[in-house]
Amino acid sequence: MIREFKFPDIGEGVHEGILLKWHVKVGDRVKAGDPLAEVETDKVNAELPSPYSGKVSELLAAVGGTIHVGQVIIRIEDQSGKVSQEAASEPTVQVVEEENAGVVGALEASSEVIPSSAEGRKNSFTEKEIPQKVLATPVARKMAYDLGLDIRTIKGTGPGGRIMKEDIRRAGESNEKKPAAVAVQETPGTGILPSGSGKIERVPLSMMRKTIAKKMAQSKYTAPHATAMDEADVTELVQFRNKIKERFFADYGVSITFMPFIMKAVCLALKENEKLNSSYDEENQELLLKRFYHLGIAVDTEEGLMVPVIQDVDKKSIFELAKELEDLSGRARMKKLKIEELKGSTFSITNYGAVGSTFGVPVINYPEAAIIGIGKIEKKPVVREDKLVLRYMLPLSLSFDHRIVDGGDAGRFINTLKKYLSDPYKLTLL
Amino acid sequence: MLVDQYNPFEGKMLQILDPDGNVIEEKLLPEIPEDELVRLFKIMLFTRVVDRKALMYQRQGRMLTYAPNEGQEACQIGSAYALEQRDWMAPAFRELGAWLTRGVDLKTLYLYWYGNEMGSKVSEDIRILPVSIPISSQLLHAVGLGYAAKVRGLDEVSIAYFGDGGTSEGDFHEAMNLAGVYKTPTIFLCQNNQWSISVPKHFQTASETFAQKAYAYGFKGIKVDGNDIFAMYAATKEAVDRARAGEGPTLIEAYTYRLGAHTTSDDPTRYRDDAEVEAWREKDPVKRFRIYLEKRGLWNQEMEKAFVAEKEEEVEKVFSDIEQNGGTVFDDIFMYQYAEMTPILREQYAEWKAFFQERGML
Amino acid sequence: MPVFNNIQALNYALMQEMEKDPSIVVFGEDVGYEGGVFRATVDLQAKFGVERCFDTPISESGIVGMAVGMAINGLKPVVELQFCGFTYPAFNQIISHVSRMRNRSRGRYTLPMVIRFPFGGGIRALEHHSESPEALFAHIPGLKVVAPSTPYDTKGLLLAALRDPDPVIFMEPKRIYRAFKQEVPEDDYVIEIGKANIVKEGEDLTIVTWGAMVRDTLKAVEKANEKGIHPEVIDLRTIAPMDRETIIKSVKKTGRILIVQEAVKSFSVASEIIALVNEKAFLHLEAPPARVTAPDIIVPLPRGEQFYMPHPDMIYEKINEVVNFLT
Repeated sequence: MIREFKFPDIGEGVHEGILLKWHVKVGDRVKAGDPLAEVETDKVNAELPSPYSGKVSELLAAVGGTIHVGQVIIRIEDQSGKVSQEAASEPTVQVVEEENAGVVGALEASSEVIPSSAEGRKNSFTEKEIPQKVLATPVARKMAYDLGLDIRTIKGTGPGGRIMKEDIRRAGESNEKKPAAVAVQETPGTGILPSGSGKIERVPLSMMRKTIAKKMAQSKYTAPHATAMDEADVTELVQFRNKIKERFFADYGVSITFMPFIMKAVCLALKENEKLNSSYDEENQELLLKRFYHLGIAVDTEEGLMVPVIQDVDKKSIFELAKELEDLSGRARMKKLKIEELKGSTFSITNYGAVGSTFGVPVINYPEAAIIGIGKIEKKPVVREDKLVLRYMLPLSLSFDHRIVDGGDAGRFINTLKKYLSDPYKLTLL
Repeated sequence: MLVDQYNPFEGKMLQILDPDGNVIEEKLLPEIPEDELVRLFKIMLFTRVVDRKALMYQRQGRMLTYAPNEGQEACQIGSAYALEQRDWMAPAFRELGAWLTRGVDLKTLYLYWYGNEMGSKVSEDIRILPVSIPISSQLLHAVGLGYAAKVRGLDEVSIAYFGDGGTSEGDFHEAMNLAGVYKTPTIFLCQNNQWSISVPKHFQTASETFAQKAYAYGFKGIKVDGNDIFAMYAATKEAVDRARAGEGPTLIEAYTYRLGAHTTSDDPTRYRDDAEVEAWREKDPVKRFRIYLEKRGLWNQEMEKAFVAEKEEEVEKVFSDIEQNGGTVFDDIFMYQYAEMTPILREQYAEWKAFFQERGML
Repeated sequence: MPVFNNIQALNYALMQEMEKDPSIVVFGEDVGYEGGVFRATVDLQAKFGVERCFDTPISESGIVGMAVGMAINGLKPVVELQFCGFTYPAFNQIISHVSRMRNRSRGRYTLPMVIRFPFGGGIRALEHHSESPEALFAHIPGLKVVAPSTPYDTKGLLLAALRDPDPVIFMEPKRIYRAFKQEVPEDDYVIEIGKANIVKEGEDLTIVTWGAMVRDTLKAVEKANEKGIHPEVIDLRTIAPMDRETIIKSVKKTGRILIVQEAVKSFSVASEIIALVNEKAFLHLEAPPARVTAPDIIVPLPRGEQFYMPHPDMIYEKINEVVNFLT
């Protein structure tokens, strides 16, 4: 029989994707589990494995085109000739409780009593006030969606308060203009394009860029950010790492960076400062303290920031973390991550030290409570026992959701973190 | 009983007045008072006037499609004359003589052919259903009318008019069967005018007669000279009386001829010989009734001339009035879909009305 | 209060109204002595006599055509056509006469009558027994078309149909003839023809359905409720004239519409509702109107019927799809 494969909902909030590539063509034989296609969704390039074995009879989506969840993208002819499990199950007719009258066919008969009619007794909803809905044409709604605007926040100027395309265009422009306005001053003329400023190229955003934009805005507009900064003395850690680095690579083929140590330290610090490993449940006005430690590690890729997640950091050795990190960041750069590998972090680390920065104001990976930014390790003169000495210093910037975390909490967390980062033996033993 | 004497299986056809106006079955001649005889003949003449005028109006571009009636006056008038006012009639669409006999006013009749539904709204005291275009579908209505009369204990019979081609329809068989099963007081009046548009009888049925079909449904049928007003009256009267007496339905085959076209859009010369038409002209129902009355001294040429002139003028007046006032009232086309306009109809009514009003078309 | 299933409610309503109105006559194939193949007319002949409840020859056109004459001559015929697939031989009478007599005669003749028949599939019957032809009837000006889904509504709508001055096509979802019971008041009550029923209030999506699909829809809605989605469910009850006001009000509230029908998809009642919503609530729509229907195929014989009948998961999936559009 012909089996249809519908583009599945492969993760949270995935409704559509772009078909990047077909791995099969009509007439090919595939086994269940063989890759059928490659799809770009919000965050990943996912490979879609075949749920069926058989011959490909039809490809129903074009490379480069958008496919929607639930849409049939391929038909595979199953050679078994058998009817599928689902198809074979017939509607079962219940035990006949009464005379099953009818010359043809079988009626379901049951004594189940359904609720009495509320006709004439209930409050008809027609008496209720109809809540005010947004009035807009589909084209306007689509436009707002594409621009990442919440149409409910846009004021309509059309007849009856209808939101016109122009309203959305304006809202989109003022959104873009906000940051620019600070730096450039008000430029005369309207729109995001400075008048007479020469040729401008319009570049459509990738799906991933759109998602990042949406997520960042959501975080910033939801959680009031505050940032605490400090430096950790990592001299001993640097020496420790230098000692083991080459041996590790020679023995295991894994290059040990500072990140696994930092992760370990963060994890230990989180255990002692549990508020930093939480989320705010606004609806119920509750704090969700998480008793597991999944760390999101921001990775800079060509297309933008990705945050793969390493699970249960507290249960893993430095070596294991190093190995996993290498694998994940490598695949992140190749856009080969699975959607599960991007989900479920409880706290995130962003390493802008890798591109030479020292301090930053990181944006929380919402709905987490905080994110720590790691700057570039540098030898700096510091005072120790009244003497100026050179030490390796690691700049730390902790952004936290001020609704649930206060400056005191943040300070204590940073202190704990510093304690562990300065003592590699504790880090490796604990 | 005539239905037994004139058994169609024996090849018999009831005829009382021959084409030359001679009474050939004296003892079967119905007792009709002289003034009634003259009245019947006047209806017959009037029918012909109305028919020829309608045809003329159509050719003048003043009337729309019309179904000419000439040649079938006797079977329509003779049968309708056998009914009482309270009896029901379910016509096809070529029953001009029956309509006029039963008192439908000319204005209503012409309005129908003029293209206005008001032409189907007969007055309350006249029990005639509107024209039924889908062939033989009205036969079932006659059965239902009869059944209701029976159940309600009313002394009413129903008559359905249809043509030879109508007997080929499923509804003919269903109606005959149901009437037989329930013994409804129903008369099936088949005007066998020999042609169903261009198709002759032998392509409609392999039966020798149409009348004999009744026997398959458990009741009687009779073949009657449809151009003989006395035979038609006698046969129908007997069927009506039997129906009233609870003896159930009867099928009457009126053997007649459509001298004109099927409708004004039809050209009969394409499918039938002039000689055949001429032969049937000799059997013209008006001609033989006129001779009979003239022989009895009840009618003469002057009377006819005066009568026809008077009626032509009357018809002309009625028709010009229709031309003045026969247009469809806009509201009517929405008003009668349901007893009360549904919400969506009310909305559409307002929308369409506004459209035509804006253009000054209402 | 008596508790009846749909078929019992039908019988009960006929019994009560025949008592009151001596002009009502009930007839059709196997309707009299046997009380109908589904027993809708059981005991009527014994109670009211053979003239008011009787068997007919197998003659669907005849049954309806006769009813036309009977209605004109003072009776109120209630005819049963044994299955939806056998309405077709009567189509000429229904379309050419039943729907038109009032208009054709400009009110001189009217046809108060009810044409009842079971419709819909899912009972593993023979060919011609499983169709959902409501759109065919609803398309004809001059007819009213109702399709109740509960015993309470069945009685209320049948009484309304019996008292309506115009012909009513009364479609009975046979899959649920005996599937459940409900309290049916002994009192006289009617459910106005042309009024839909909001069987479940909600804010996220409007679902319009009728007949046997009401039950299936409510099941899918329950599942959606668990996920925090709250659709509003409208049981149309009358197909024509459609309760446009209730649909439009609901869609203006929810911004989304899904129609669930057992009939085939194209040129269907669902199509009409979508057209209506586009005409009257276009600016309120937050997602494209959606339909769960049978495919545009001839109803398969029982071994393939499950592919035709809208699967409950289809309803659930479509609810999610519509609610999550552009979010």
